[in-house]
Amino acid sequence: MLSIKNLTMSYGGKNVLNNINLEVKKGEIIGYIGPNGAGKSTTVKIMLGLIDDYQGDVVIFGHDISSGDPSYKKKIGYVPENAEAYDNLTAMEYLIFTGELYGMERDVAELKAERLLEQFELQDARHSRLSSFSKGMKQKVLITSSLLHDPDLLFWDEPLSGLDANSMMVIQEILAQLAAQGKTIFYSSHIMDLVEKISNRIVLLVKGEVVADATFEELKEMSEEGSLSGIFNQLTGFTEHRSKARDFVSIVQGADVDA
Amino acid sequence: MREFQTLKVLSTFKSIFIWLGVDYGVMEKILQIKLTMDERRVPTIFNETGKKKEGNQFLKSLWVYGLYGLILIPFLLLGENYIFQLSLAFGMILFILMTSMISDFSAVLLDVRDKNIIQTKPVSRKTMAAAKIVHIMIYMGFVTVAFTAIPFVVGLVKHGFLFAVIFLIELVLTVLLVVVFTSLLYLVILRFFDGDKLKDIINYVQILLSVGVVVGYQVLIRAFDFVDLNLTYSFSWWHVLIPPIWYGAPFEVFLNGNSANYLIAFTVLAVLVPVVAIWLYAKLMPSFERNLEKLLSDTKKRKKKKNWVDEIGAKLLCRSKEERIFFRFAASMMKKEREFKLKVFPALGMSLFFPFLFIFTYPREGGLEEISGGSMFLFVYFCNFMIPSLVYMLRFSEGYKGGWLFRAAPIVKTSRAYSGAIKAFFVKLYLPVFLVVSILFIWIFSARILPDLAAVMLGGLLQTLITHKVVTEDEFPFSASFEFAQEAGTGKMLVLTLMTFGFVLAHFIAMATTWGIYVYLVILLAALWILWKRVFPENKIRSHESAELSLDQQE
Repeated sequence: MLSIKNLTMSYGGKNVLNNINLEVKKGEIIGYIGPNGAGKSTTVKIMLGLIDDYQGDVVIFGHDISSGDPSYKKKIGYVPENAEAYDNLTAMEYLIFTGELYGMERDVAELKAERLLEQFELQDARHSRLSSFSKGMKQKVLITSSLLHDPDLLFWDEPLSGLDANSMMVIQEILAQLAAQGKTIFYSSHIMDLVEKISNRIVLLVKGEVVADATFEELKEMSEEGSLSGIFNQLTGFTEHRSKARDFVSIVQGADVDA
Repeated sequence: MREFQTLKVLSTFKSIFIWLGVDYGVMEKILQIKLTMDERRVPTIFNETGKKKEGNQFLKSLWVYGLYGLILIPFLLLGENYIFQLSLAFGMILFILMTSMISDFSAVLLDVRDKNIIQTKPVSRKTMAAAKIVHIMIYMGFVTVAFTAIPFVVGLVKHGFLFAVIFLIELVLTVLLVVVFTSLLYLVILRFFDGDKLKDIINYVQILLSVGVVVGYQVLIRAFDFVDLNLTYSFSWWHVLIPPIWYGAPFEVFLNGNSANYLIAFTVLAVLVPVVAIWLYAKLMPSFERNLEKLLSDTKKRKKKKNWVDEIGAKLLCRSKEERIFFRFAASMMKKEREFKLKVFPALGMSLFFPFLFIFTYPREGGLEEISGGSMFLFVYFCNFMIPSLVYMLRFSEGYKGGWLFRAAPIVKTSRAYSGAIKAFFVKLYLPVFLVVSILFIWIFSARILPDLAAVMLGGLLQTLITHKVVTEDEFPFSASFEFAQEAGTGKMLVLTLMTFGFVLAHFIAMATTWGIYVYLVILLAALWILWKRVFPENKIRSHESAELSLDQQE
């Protein structure tokens, strides 16, 4: 399905990604986690063909993506980070446009988009501009746009930001059912509880290197921590959250901080 | 979503795009989306006045280009000295197109949002690049049509059919040349720089280009000898480097039957250069898109810099703390914001350049000595000419969405926000240019012009205040999107700019009597004092609250 071999990406003399290897099988839900700036988004951008001066091999659907032929993207769905979209368009216009870019027929895309938006209870807002949407509503539109063309592989970068607890549960369930149907899902998130619950495989990236690649159960066995955020702290070498917080609060209150 | 006539026209060229390897259907969809978005510019979030602006603002401002286009007519009517007349005409066309391209459409070319939204879909780079360039071409086409439609008819009537055909073909070539040349330039810059440095370089190149185009136009005029008012053209090798002359030559060749070698060479260049540029562009476009990614990343750390000029200015010129805060804020926005610099610095460069240009190109006999005795120092008013468009720009920012901060923060006297920004504008942008010109002028004209210079400066301040009063709609500076800045070309701005002539006239009247200039100075000071009190009232508080207050009083 997806295979990354010795992927290295350097930027300004610095290695942003360092020799990454990853084999993804059909039907897997992969939680791609790591601290800010670890290289998660860069990896996703490489796989989507946004960056192409990398070293190593990236093969998707048995197709080496460096060939320059964009047709492999037909079966990929993508939710970008920061909810980037053309805000001046209405939800329906945006969805139809992306659907068409994936090669769908206009009326098919329209019908499907309407029905999907209805499921998210956005039918009344569907002809309003995205710029008037709340963050959560916009995120639902972007998730819809990534699924409209029934892709086999999903890249979701922070798909849950701005969603309320109920919507998160819906998305979580959608993910599980899509995976059960044989879709492969590759997503990154900072919400550890959720990653713990929905991924059947967790890849942890730190400073451009894969430091862990296993199921949650395996990770738990390897470390003494019981939760994924504990494991995350341990593997990223971050232990001083309590003292950092204490210092921060005392600075807010105007006190001198002792070292 | 509606159908666009432009796209229907475009579809007649469908086969060319397909031949170039572009997926025409996809390109058409992208263009349709882009044009739809251009029609919907979202008003600022906090603009409670509720003045919704629908429709394509750019198209609505096109009539100004039509007005500018009238300048071309005299050149077409003068006679049949084509190489002279049409080189100048095409110089102007190139100038207008280039300026518009750099300031209005660079953003379209360098848009990185497209990458994340479109390039993640199965769309080839070539198709995306084509969509981008066609999108720009459509607007450039509109600008060209608006600018040259009337002159074209005049030319057709005066010089006949063949003239019109050549004119039309050349217009197409010029648009191609401008768009592709600019793109190629960005391509080269993108290749060699990255991160924030890249953005700075792009910014400076844009500013330099804008100034360069004006200077280039002046050089073009120098290429012709003004001897005995009989304009003669004699060839020099460096004329090959001036594109407008290429476009003047074909008229000479085909209409006057002049087949001098250099004219033929110019004609070949006029056709060949755009064609080669397009070919080159098509070859290099994928690397352009690839390198655009560089605009997104910045890895360098920067040191804190303290600016003493800003500090002193804030301390000396601002009386309240709030005003001082906005003075510093505006000063750093002017220095850091690229989009702002791009719109403003070229005008500043021209204010610096024009006064001298006019002095030294004015036909004269007595040399510098004669100049120094005269009143040509009034050309210093060119500095004031730029004030309206610059003050207007204070409204805008790339980060206009951050404007919520002004509403959320406990600001007591909101009028201090703009008074601080206006002061910062005057000290940081106007004064440096004015001082440089003044010092050089004092050197040329001697210290006797000091009172006059003072009057010019006060006039500038007055014009700043009037402009602010007329154009400012928002309560806070830097809180509207640049998407609205295109209205800068509308009639209001034209009137405000022409106001400078009013000041020149007043100055002339004042100079008629011995002490007139001092009387004028006093009048200016008084006007300034009154106006400042009116525009920035001391006790003005948040606008909606004050509206309520006045209602209370009425009851």
